[in-house]
Amino acid sequence: MQATVITITSGKGGVGKTTTAANLGCALALRGQKVVIIDGDIGLRNLDIVMGLENRIVYDAVDYVEGRCKLKQALIRDKRAPELYLLATAQTRDKTAMNPEKMSALCDELRPDFDFIIVDSPAGIEQGFETCLAPADRCLVVTNPEVSSVRDSDRVIGLIESKEKDRTTHLIINRLSAARVKKQDMLSVEDIQEVLSTAIIGVVPEDESILSSTNKGVPVALGGKGAAAVAYSEIARRLMGEDVPLQPLQSGGFLQRLFGRS
Amino acid sequence: MSMFKQWFGGRKSAAEAKSRLKFVLIHDRAEIAPGMLEAIRDDIIDVIADRLQIERDRVAVNIEDEGGERRLMVDIPLAPARRRQGS
Ligand SMILES: Nc1ncnc2c1ncn2[C@@H]1O[C@H](COP(=O)(O)OP(=O)(O)OP(=O)(O)O)[C@@H](O)[C@H]1O
Ligand SMILES: [Mg+2]
Repeated sequence: MQATVITITSGKGGVGKTTTAANLGCALALRGQKVVIIDGDIGLRNLDIVMGLENRIVYDAVDYVEGRCKLKQALIRDKRAPELYLLATAQTRDKTAMNPEKMSALCDELRPDFDFIIVDSPAGIEQGFETCLAPADRCLVVTNPEVSSVRDSDRVIGLIESKEKDRTTHLIINRLSAARVKKQDMLSVEDIQEVLSTAIIGVVPEDESILSSTNKGVPVALGGKGAAAVAYSEIARRLMGEDVPLQPLQSGGFLQRLFGRS
Repeated sequence: MSMFKQWFGGRKSAAEAKSRLKFVLIHDRAEIAPGMLEAIRDDIIDVIADRLQIERDRVAVNIEDEGGERRLMVDIPLAPARRRQGS
């Protein structure tokens, strides 16, 4: 086994990186893949609570890197999927606790034992971004259909492409509202693709169930049947190399909008 | 349909978002501030206006991006031709 390292990034904050990392990790693991999700957002630990594993953390990635525990002790097993693990980040304010070299070394150590290593990167294009990018074989850039997010994505894609290492980069468009696109009041998937000239690996709709699932600590991909859950499982299949065509989003008719969504 | 749209607030802002993004990304990618083009424009006007009658207000300097090939496009309209007043 030799894992593919996927770094989830965006530039702009709050667009859905952590939600995407948690859900893709779950979706891949439910499809029989051996997955570890690494929280790369030092000082702002979040992946644990989004996944509902916050009370299981004893050691984190920095504890391991600094020799305070064994790798096995820092890997939190999520029993809701056959082979799913979380490596939490440290709550330290010392951002230098991790750096590109340490993160690459950590991933290289994990590679033989996993199919996918998913790295959730922090917002911004500073050191934390560089640290999470370093080990990446491929990048997923999460973008909201909104001007500042698309602009920041372009910046991030430029930075990824400026590196020596060749990586496949795909876009995930998150929080798309098909109804608003239909009213021509929101950038469409085609608009974003054209502006950024980067291939899209999936479109996750705006979905109320994301908030409630995060409240409960149960990512929608673990069994939700809503539109977002379907989107994550399709992206997971594409990451596994399956040819799953991008489907046009259902915007629902006018009546459906008036009388509530499914 | 148009009345329908007015009632339900269809404002069609997407097209505007797209064209504004295209503009800003051309400058972001070229690492050229939009203000830099203004400065180039003023310099060009100075150079040309000494020798030719031009329509200063309509001089345009833009970066265009077609399929990854970027160009600095300078458009300098000449003042309307006047027939020479005969002697
Ligand atoms: N598809 C979606 N539909 C509805 N809400 C969403 C969706 N995706 C994300 N959200 C919400 O957006 C908020 C931000 O998400 P998240 O924390 O994943 O973003 P982030 O990019 O990791 O942020 P940061 O840059 O701070 O790390 C959360 O409240 C999340 O529940
Ligand atoms: Mg996050």
